[in-house]
Amino acid sequence: MVVGAFILLIPLWAKFIPGDVLHMDIVNLMVLTGVYACAVVGLNLLVGYAGQISLGHAAFFGIGAYTTAILCTHMHWFPTWLGVIAGAVLAGAVGWLVGKPVLRLKGNYLAMATLGLGEIAFILFQQVKGLTGGTVGILDIPPLSIFGLKFDTDLKFFFLIWVVILVLLLVSINLIKSRVGRGLRALHSSEVAADAMGVATGRYKAQVFVLSAAFAGLGGAMFAHFQKYINPESFTLALSILFITMVVVGGMGNIWGGLVGVVILTFLPSVIQALPQWIPGLPHGLSNFSNYELVLYGALLILFMMFMPKGVAFGLSRAADYTEVRARHFRDRQKARKMEGR
Amino acid sequence: MNTGDSKQRKLLWGSVAVVALVVIATLIDKGSIGLQLILSGLTVGSIYALVAMGFSIIYSSTRVINFAQGGFSMLGGMLMYSLAVSGKLPMWLAFILAVLIVTALGAGFERVVIRPMKDHSVITVIIVTIGLSIFMTAVAKWIWGTDPVKIASFSGDKPLRLFGASLVPQSLWVFGLTLVAVALVFLFFNRTLLGKGMRAAADNPDAASLVGVSSSTSSLVAWTLAAGLGAAAGVVIAPINFAQYSAGTALGLKGFSAAVLGGLGSAPGAVVGGLVLGVLETITAGYLPSGYKDAVAFVILILVLLVRPQGLLGRPEEVKV
Repeated sequence: MVVGAFILLIPLWAKFIPGDVLHMDIVNLMVLTGVYACAVVGLNLLVGYAGQISLGHAAFFGIGAYTTAILCTHMHWFPTWLGVIAGAVLAGAVGWLVGKPVLRLKGNYLAMATLGLGEIAFILFQQVKGLTGGTVGILDIPPLSIFGLKFDTDLKFFFLIWVVILVLLLVSINLIKSRVGRGLRALHSSEVAADAMGVATGRYKAQVFVLSAAFAGLGGAMFAHFQKYINPESFTLALSILFITMVVVGGMGNIWGGLVGVVILTFLPSVIQALPQWIPGLPHGLSNFSNYELVLYGALLILFMMFMPKGVAFGLSRAADYTEVRARHFRDRQKARKMEGR
Repeated sequence: MNTGDSKQRKLLWGSVAVVALVVIATLIDKGSIGLQLILSGLTVGSIYALVAMGFSIIYSSTRVINFAQGGFSMLGGMLMYSLAVSGKLPMWLAFILAVLIVTALGAGFERVVIRPMKDHSVITVIIVTIGLSIFMTAVAKWIWGTDPVKIASFSGDKPLRLFGASLVPQSLWVFGLTLVAVALVFLFFNRTLLGKGMRAAADNPDAASLVGVSSSTSSLVAWTLAAGLGAAAGVVIAPINFAQYSAGTALGLKGFSAAVLGGLGSAPGAVVGGLVLGVLETITAGYLPSGYKDAVAFVILILVLLVRPQGLLGRPEEVKV
């Protein structure tokens, strides 16, 4: 609740901090966070609950983005909100088509196959020039408008995307608590056992794959209307990897943790870039961080995994436990000392 | 396992026949240009084979897909540039030094980063290797900048003529090096105690550790070997392809597809997979817009996974309940 209120109030408090203090556009970054979160919430259901790895979700994100972009730029009368829905539906449909054969694979092999699918989608975005505009991509995508309400500024989009996220979260949490969710968790711990207990493992896996693809498609479509232009470079393997990293950094199988992961990894590059400007009087050579921004990013990613392999959410709660234990220990010792003194 | 073996052999010969048919068809259709395509396909394929062997060796001893594998090749090429072009060292010395440095780095990574992660889930370790790959790329960009750099061929640029097709001498170096590397890897895994132990550990880690094969040593040796193979590939291809900080990703993905095609975890499979992939890729480039060339690897990857996930020469993974 507190976190939710904090997030929704961001535009309010962010406004009071002049832009040149933080050196980043928080509202803009939070919109990006929201867009990525659409994909990550779905992916977390797939990876964290059903235990199926996908390294190709950028493809669904891209399909969502291209669907609405193509519909709304080729046919100017096409309602943008319908374009977004079409993007999510088409991404889900593609997910259903490829999910059936691919989900027979397990573990590493599934990861490889989804990686291949993602790369093929990326090459198609580049090569089917008539539809996608090739490497240039699609420009002048109209802003999203719903029943005459135009979401054409960062701030308006911010509220829209976080309402969407809230809905996706509710859907996900309900799903986890339902029969399907219990089936998925059983499937995660042992597919054979779940099968033997009568869980329709194949169907559940396919359903959650389609759902996660549609979520990613929705995120991609929102992304297209927010950025107003798209090109294939936005939907590379790097994005698929970013999604799965967000899931793992946040905490697999922890919906809220996943959100934390999205926030951390979306803000990290900007924070790294802004960092030298927060410290006054740094020599100029050091303050140009663009050179080693990625060096730090890679190093931090490794360190995160080494020291919080179960995700930040879990890592922090463990750290809190640890400090609590230490505090109790300290109190006990003090008490003992007092007793001795007496 | 006799029936499995004979089935495996049939499948292997079947795919060899298909590839041979494609090659012959190309030769008939395009003549000397076809031969040209196949020769350059074999050159690229050799490089894929070396990278794929790295993937396979690490996978079979640690079950980790190493996303930093392409980075080793990139570093090899860039170091070769620094040592041979900027440092003006003789080619052979620069070659040896570049490979040695990257090999040492690979061993270092294993000790510092991978080893402490041994009890964590595979996906966590995979993300660590992704972090490594980003890290290496970023450091290379920082040191060498973004422009591709040219390295002179090992023995001149005068192309050899062969039935109307031309072959750059560097290709011969690529073939030669691949042969030597493959031979050394095979000798290591079949003739030395450590290599045999590692094969045993790949088969059954628990049983192998009971008879004294150290999983720690296996993992270290695997990473060292993979880094060395990757670096050698990167150094020897640099005069043909230019060396650039960002070259690792594409090479890594192709090598990875080749490894899956041949059977992840199988070193001979990696060689076959690399060569087949290289040739099919260049032949495709001869017939379709070149942008589709890169899709070949991934279409093959998915087809192989759906039809025969263990690849041409790999063994199916046992499902334990």
